[in-house]
Amino acid sequence: MKILATYNIKGGVGKTATAVNLAHVAARRGERVLLWDLDPQGAATFYFRVKPKVKGGGEALLSGRREVSDAIRGSDYDNLDILPADFSYRHLDLMLDEAKKPLARLRRVLRSVSEDYDYVFLDCAPSISLTSESVFRAADALLVPVIPTTLSIRTFDQLDRFVDDNPDIVRKLKILGFFSMADTRKRLHRELADELRAQRPELLTTQIPMDTDIERMGVHRQPVTALFPRSRPSRAYEALWDEILAHL
Amino acid sequence: MSEVHRFVADRSPDVGTGENTDADTDAGTLSLVTRLGLREVEVTDLDRRFFDTPDGRLHGMGTTLEVRTPVEYPMMRSLVWLHGGQVLASARVDAAFEPGLADTLPPGAGFDRLRDTIEMRRLLPVAMVRSRLALAAALDTEEKTTARVVIDLPALRDGRPLPALIEIRAIRGYEDATARLVRRIAGTAGVDPTDLTTPDLARAAGGGRPFVPSRLTVQLDRGADAATVWTEVFRALHESMLVNFTGTLDDVDSEYLHDFRVAVRRTRSVLAEGGGVLDGRARDHFRAGFKWLGDITTPTRDADVHLLDYPKMLAALSEDAATALAPLGEFLIAHQRTCQQQLARELRGPRRAQLAAEWAEYLEGSGPWAERPAGPDAGRSARRVVAARVEKAHRRLRRDGRAIGATSPPVALHDLRKDAKRLRYLLECFGPLFPAEDLATAVRPLKALQEVLGEFQDTEVQAGALARFGRRLDEEGADTDTILAMGGAIEQLSVRSSRARRAYADRFAEFDTGAVRRAYERLTTTRKGGR
Repeated sequence: MKILATYNIKGGVGKTATAVNLAHVAARRGERVLLWDLDPQGAATFYFRVKPKVKGGGEALLSGRREVSDAIRGSDYDNLDILPADFSYRHLDLMLDEAKKPLARLRRVLRSVSEDYDYVFLDCAPSISLTSESVFRAADALLVPVIPTTLSIRTFDQLDRFVDDNPDIVRKLKILGFFSMADTRKRLHRELADELRAQRPELLTTQIPMDTDIERMGVHRQPVTALFPRSRPSRAYEALWDEILAHL
Repeated sequence: MSEVHRFVADRSPDVGTGENTDADTDAGTLSLVTRLGLREVEVTDLDRRFFDTPDGRLHGMGTTLEVRTPVEYPMMRSLVWLHGGQVLASARVDAAFEPGLADTLPPGAGFDRLRDTIEMRRLLPVAMVRSRLALAAALDTEEKTTARVVIDLPALRDGRPLPALIEIRAIRGYEDATARLVRRIAGTAGVDPTDLTTPDLARAAGGGRPFVPSRLTVQLDRGADAATVWTEVFRALHESMLVNFTGTLDDVDSEYLHDFRVAVRRTRSVLAEGGGVLDGRARDHFRAGFKWLGDITTPTRDADVHLLDYPKMLAALSEDAATALAPLGEFLIAHQRTCQQQLARELRGPRRAQLAAEWAEYLEGSGPWAERPAGPDAGRSARRVVAARVEKAHRRLRRDGRAIGATSPPVALHDLRKDAKRLRYLLECFGPLFPAEDLATAVRPLKALQEVLGEFQDTEVQAGALARFGRRLDEEGADTDTILAMGGAIEQLSVRSSRARRAYADRFAEFDTGAVRRAYERLTTTRKGGR
């Protein structure tokens, strides 16, 4: 079982859309996939029409009082299950802080279902906190969507610094950055993308375009890859998944 | 895999309605969608060819594999592995596609799992139907799917309708919704629960061939005498030889020969254990016959093992070395073909035919061999006779196994493998004479011990064969890289062999525990005080 976390310190960069669509792409290809919505806002949970509720809240899951398998819900798609968000996740930092070995906690929670899934996607809330550190420890790779804007690139630098400064936390974590919500009609997006690519050749080559089809996910409550499987963003998510697989 | 509930319904016009309301004979069944408040997702007419392994592995898991072709869009042909409507793997395929061995399956994680399931077995067509397939879903207030329903209205290719099949698949976390639906469908007139799948229905109606189980199935009466039990076991093994004969002859897949050989070896073993039970001359005659039959199958089985092991060999090498080894792969294929042709000639020859005829007569109690007097133990309790054999074989295996140390020669382990096989065949062939729980306790560690002994011997034999093949390829002017890569492969085999050698002590210790010994004692206590 590989654990992949969609993560960025900054919000609104396409983390949830990435988690939702990549999870759907992987499941459609026959992988057994679990998406854990760690964001208390529950956007990924909403897209899959699942109720954002975990009995006993995040604390029950983290403490082991509630079996993670009991909280999992099947999605409308074969091979794709959801571990829904819960409003109590807003206190996840506090819960982890009170737990023993907080950094190892998320991985430990997932251990009981490790035989059931090939990939687990963690959709994380934006921040650098104890939760994100626990995510860094649990995950095999961070999928980092970056909008080609100055501010977004700055947050990528912050993540880089954190990774450099905390080798004991990140260990063998792979950081897979890629451009998201890229608007090729905007000169600034094109220039910044070129500039950043020159500075960071390790960035994935696939970029997810800014596209109204992605925005329509919220209306139809479906992944864009299910809703418009032949659309430009769907093809981009397919290509992104291929590229991620090559790096794992 | 999700929980699935299946129901079968007659193709009468009034299923579920209690009255004939429509000229369309399937209207009643299809109207279940609206009557149960489901949302119809789609209705499609499909031509479906189902496949399974000869031993019915997919059937055993409750899954089905089919090449499905939409009647309206034949270009949209796909290979689909399903469990109650849940797609475990799917891929578009072209008109020429025919599933066969594992390497014919498309890439992808789902099909990797199918490859792991079928292993070395070939996928064969088992049924063909045309279905009207209605997919529907139960939804909650958020319009989230809480259960999936598939209504299948299949017909054989000659137009004969099969019963309708209704499958309800639970969605994880929404089992209550499924339970409600199941209750409602179960209460519908003309609908009954079933474990059957569409290919099962088609096979039953269309006279499809039965699956060939790899496991020996024999019913034995615990109170029966030895002669009766020996004959029953021989008959079951004979049946196994017969059902695997054509597949062996045609080389459908390597497992037919494997199972054929197992039946032959078990027959030899049961003959060997038949001292005092069977007539001595008949026993010697058939032992010689089955030894010959076993021997002629050995070169092909060895060639099969080389081919089956080839991917494992490649995986252990670097990418360059694996590429350089390609000529060996071609050589192994050609070698297997030559061995198989020779085997087929022998199996079609007069000696095999005579052995088969004499053996069949003997088992029927006719012919010259059956007329000979039975052995002195023929009338004794089979359980007591077998228990004595088990006790002896177990004692011997423990004695010889304990004598093996770190410096023992390989031949000591090879001999021990034979001891272990003897005990295992006794336990398996005569298993129904013993309590199942003690039998399981006795067999489990024995099987584990046999695995390391098998790995040790197989890797040694393979390394020797590879060295021979290497010399031949070298003489035929093979590339130096190929010969070097073969050297690497031999080294890998030697690593595996050493690993098995090291694992031996632990496996034997697990076999030689007090709990296992006591299980053997319980199996063999019936002998005490017996005749």
